[in-house]
Amino acid sequence: MSSQANGAVALRIEDLHKSFGKLEVLRGIDLEVDEHEVVGLIGASGSGKSTLLRCVNLLEPIDRGRILIEGDEITARGVDVNRIRQRIGIVFQAFNLFPHMSVIRNVTLGPIEALGASRGQAEGLATELLERFGLADKRDDYPDRLSGGQQQRVAIVRALAMKPDVVLLDEVTSALDPELVAEVLNVIRELAAGGMTMVIATHEMGFARDIANRVCFLDDGVILEQGPPDRIFTAPEQERTQRFLQSIIDAGRM
Amino acid sequence: MALTPQGAPAPATGLPGGPPLPEGDRGSKILGPLRAEGARGVVIAVVSTLVFFSVLVLVVVNSSGWPLIKESFFDGEVFAEAFPKVLEKFWRNVFIFCVAEVFVLIVAMIIAVLRSLSGPVFTPLRVLAAAYTDLFRAVPTILVIALLGFGAPALQIKGVPRSDVFWAIVALVLVYSAYVAEVYRAGIESVHPSQVASARALGLSRRKTLRFVVIPQAVRRVIPPLLNDFIGLQKDSALVAFLGYREALRESQIIQAEHFDFTPYVALALVYVVITIPQARFVDWLVARDRRRRQVGATL
Amino acid sequence: MRKVLTILALTGLLLAACAEDDPTVGGETGGAFPATGTTGETAPTGPTTAATAADCATANADAFESAGTLTVATGTPAFPPWWEGGEVDGSEFEFNDPAKGQGYEGAVIADLTSRLGFSFPDQVTFVPIGFNKSFAPGPKDFDFVLQQISYLPERDEAVDFSESYYDAEQAVVTTKGSPIDGATSIADLADATLGAPIGTTSLAVIEDVIQPSVEPAVYDDLAGAIQDLKNGSIDGVVVDLPSAFFITAVQLDKGVIVGQIPTEEVPEYFGMVFETGSPLVECVNLGLQEMKADGTLDALEQEWLADATDVPVLT
Repeated sequence: MSSQANGAVALRIEDLHKSFGKLEVLRGIDLEVDEHEVVGLIGASGSGKSTLLRCVNLLEPIDRGRILIEGDEITARGVDVNRIRQRIGIVFQAFNLFPHMSVIRNVTLGPIEALGASRGQAEGLATELLERFGLADKRDDYPDRLSGGQQQRVAIVRALAMKPDVVLLDEVTSALDPELVAEVLNVIRELAAGGMTMVIATHEMGFARDIANRVCFLDDGVILEQGPPDRIFTAPEQERTQRFLQSIIDAGRM
Repeated sequence: MALTPQGAPAPATGLPGGPPLPEGDRGSKILGPLRAEGARGVVIAVVSTLVFFSVLVLVVVNSSGWPLIKESFFDGEVFAEAFPKVLEKFWRNVFIFCVAEVFVLIVAMIIAVLRSLSGPVFTPLRVLAAAYTDLFRAVPTILVIALLGFGAPALQIKGVPRSDVFWAIVALVLVYSAYVAEVYRAGIESVHPSQVASARALGLSRRKTLRFVVIPQAVRRVIPPLLNDFIGLQKDSALVAFLGYREALRESQIIQAEHFDFTPYVALALVYVVITIPQARFVDWLVARDRRRRQVGATL
Repeated sequence: MRKVLTILALTGLLLAACAEDDPTVGGETGGAFPATGTTGETAPTGPTTAATAADCATANADAFESAGTLTVATGTPAFPPWWEGGEVDGSEFEFNDPAKGQGYEGAVIADLTSRLGFSFPDQVTFVPIGFNKSFAPGPKDFDFVLQQISYLPERDEAVDFSESYYDAEQAVVTTKGSPIDGATSIADLADATLGAPIGTTSLAVIEDVIQPSVEPAVYDDLAGAIQDLKNGSIDGVVVDLPSAFFITAVQLDKGVIVGQIPTEEVPEYFGMVFETGSPLVECVNLGLQEMKADGTLDALEQEWLADATDVPVLT
C-alpha cells in the first residue's frame, strides 16, 4: 500500500484498537506512511479520525496495537512520552494557541523549554518560519488579535518550529470562516511541496484531492478503503465510500 | 457633573436607558456615555440616587436619637485622640497581612497543584491536599489562632517561638491558603483542556505545561477573587489581638473602653476604607490592562 | 425555585429583626409600687430632695425600667468574689447566680435593694449583659449595671456613675518561679511583660504607674491573660485585688500575688453605671451613703474581700 513517494517508512500503525468505555472507536487500524508522503484521512464525524491522530501523538492511550515513528516503537513500555511528542507535530481544530503569550513566544516556547534551544536560536527559526508564511508583522501580537486563519497558520508554524518528523493536522480548517480557509490550505500546500510527511484529517475534499498522495476513507473504526485520490474520489470501490462521497457532493462541498 | 439638557434627542440607534459606553477612544468618561444611547437613563439614575441618599441622611440626622448617636459614634474629640493612635498601630496589621499574604499565595498554589495532579500514583498527595482544604476551611479562624497562639507556647518545647505575631501569621496562612487554594483550583480548571493538549503535544512536560501554560492563565482569571480573599485577610489580621497583641482594633477597643464611646471604631473603619478602595481600583486596572492587551472586543 | 428562595430570604430577615437578645431573668415583676420606706412615711411626689433612698425611689418610681422592680445588669460568667453561691438551674448566669445575693457585689445589691424599698430577690430582675452594651447609646433595658466597672472621667461623659461601692486596689499576679516572683518594688517590674484584660483600669496602671520597658499585652478577657501567664509568654497579670485572690486561689496553680500597686496616682473606684441623666443615680447614692454610714459596706467588705489586708504594697 505504499505510494509514489519512495523512501523509509515514517509512520507505521499496526492493528490499532481504542475504546472509550464500552464504545470501540478504532477497531484495528493498519496504516503505513512513507517519508515525504501526504496522507489524507476522510470520513464521517465519529468515524475516528481525530481519535486516530490523537493516538499517534500519544494524547490518548491505546488499547491494543503498535505505533512506530521512523522505526521506533512509541507505544512500548517506558518510552519518554515527551520526547516522542517533540518529534510529532499536531495541530487541532481550535484553541490551539496560548492566549496569554505573543505569537513569537507561542512559537519559541516549545523549542526553548522542550528542546533546550537558546532564545536566540529559537527566535531565529521562529522569525524565519513566520516570514515564510507571511506572518512576520504579527510576531508581537497576541492570538486574540489575529483572525482564525492567521491563528491556525501560527499554530502550524509553532508545530514546525519543533522540527518534527511527521505533522498531523486534525480538521484544521473546519472551524474557520470560508474566506479564511484558503490561506491555511496554502500553507499546508507549501509544506507538502517542501516534502513534509503529513497526515491530514479533513473535510476539504478538493484540497485532499490536490495535495494528498493517498487518501484513506475511515468508516466505523477501520480504514475501509484507501488509494490515490483520483481513484477514490472518482471510482470508489466500496459502497459506503460512495455513499459518503455522495453526501458530500449533495452538501455542496465538492 | 455635566448634564445634557432634558429632552435631548435620543440617538437614532440607541435605546434609552441602555448601557453607557466604556472609557477609551470614545471621548471622556462622563460626556461619552451621555452623548450616546442611554443619556436619559443615566440622568434618571443619578438624580434618583441623590434624592434617595439625601432623604436617608435627612431622616437619620433629624431622628430623635441622632444627637446621642453622634456623640457615641462621631465624637470629634474622641476621634482626634483615637485616629492617630489607631493609625500608628495599624502598621502592625499591615506587617501581619502583607507577610501572611506572600506565604498564602505560595502555599495555596502548592495545594492547588497537588489537588490537580492526575494519575493513581499521586492519589495520596491529592487526598492530603483535599483534607487540608477541608480542615482549614472548617475550623473558625479565631480558633486556629487561639489553638496555635496559646497552645504552641504551652507545649514548653525549646525553640518553639512564643511571639503572638508569629503564630497569628502561621494561623492566617494555614487558614487562608485553604480558601485561596480553592480559588486557584477554580482558575486552573477553567483553562480549556485543549490548552493542556496543545502544550503536551509540543512535548512539554507536565510540570512545564503547568508552569508556562496553565498557571499563568489560571491566575489571570482569578485575580478579582484573590483580592477578595486578601481583603478578608486584612480584616482578620485583627484576630491577633486575641493573643494579647496590641494591633489597631485592640487599640480602638482600649480607647473605646476608656471613653465609653464607639468613635474609635469609626476611626478604624475609616482607615480600612481608605486602604481598601485603592486596592480594588488597582485590580480593576490590572484586569482591564490585561484584557486590552490580549483581547479584541475588550473595549466593547 | 426563585420564589422559594425569595420567601426564605425574607423570612430569615424578618426573624432576625424580631429576635430579642436581652431576655430577662430572675424575680417576678410585681405590679405594686415599692413598699413605703422603713419609717412608714408616705413619700412626697415630684423630684424634691428625698431624705432616704427609699423616698427617692418612690419619688422617681416611673424612672425604673420596669415598674415595681429593680432591674440590674451584670456580666456572665459571674465571677467570685463578686458573686458567689453557685449556679442555679435555668438561670442565664454561669458560675454563680446573682439572685442569691452572695459575694461582695451580690451582698451589696441585696442590701441596697431593701434600702430602695424593694424586697430581694423577689422584686429584683437580673439581666446578663456584655461589657459594650453597658454604655451603648439608646434606651436601656435595665436600671443600672453592676459589674466592677471603674470610674473614669472620660467614661463619665458618656454615662453616669454612682458613688464608689468599692475602692479598688490593683495587684500584680504571677506564677511561682517567674522572673518577677519575689519582686518588692515597682522598679523590679521594669522589664517585665505584663498583661491586662481590656476595659479595666489595670492597663492604665501598667502604663502610668509601673511603666515597664516592654509593651503590655491586652486581652479580650481575663482568660486569655491567664493562659499566657501559664505559658510563660507574659510574666505577670495586673487585676483588681479581689480578682487577684480568685485567680491565685482557683485558676492558677502556683499562682502568687506579687503585691498591690499604690493608687494615689490613679485613684480608682468601682461604681454602678447608669444612663446619662438617670434620676436613679441619686437614689442609689443615698443608699450607698446609708450603707457607709452604718458600717454595712465595711462589714460586707470584711466578709467577702477579707484577704485584702495582707498583701504587700509595691513602691
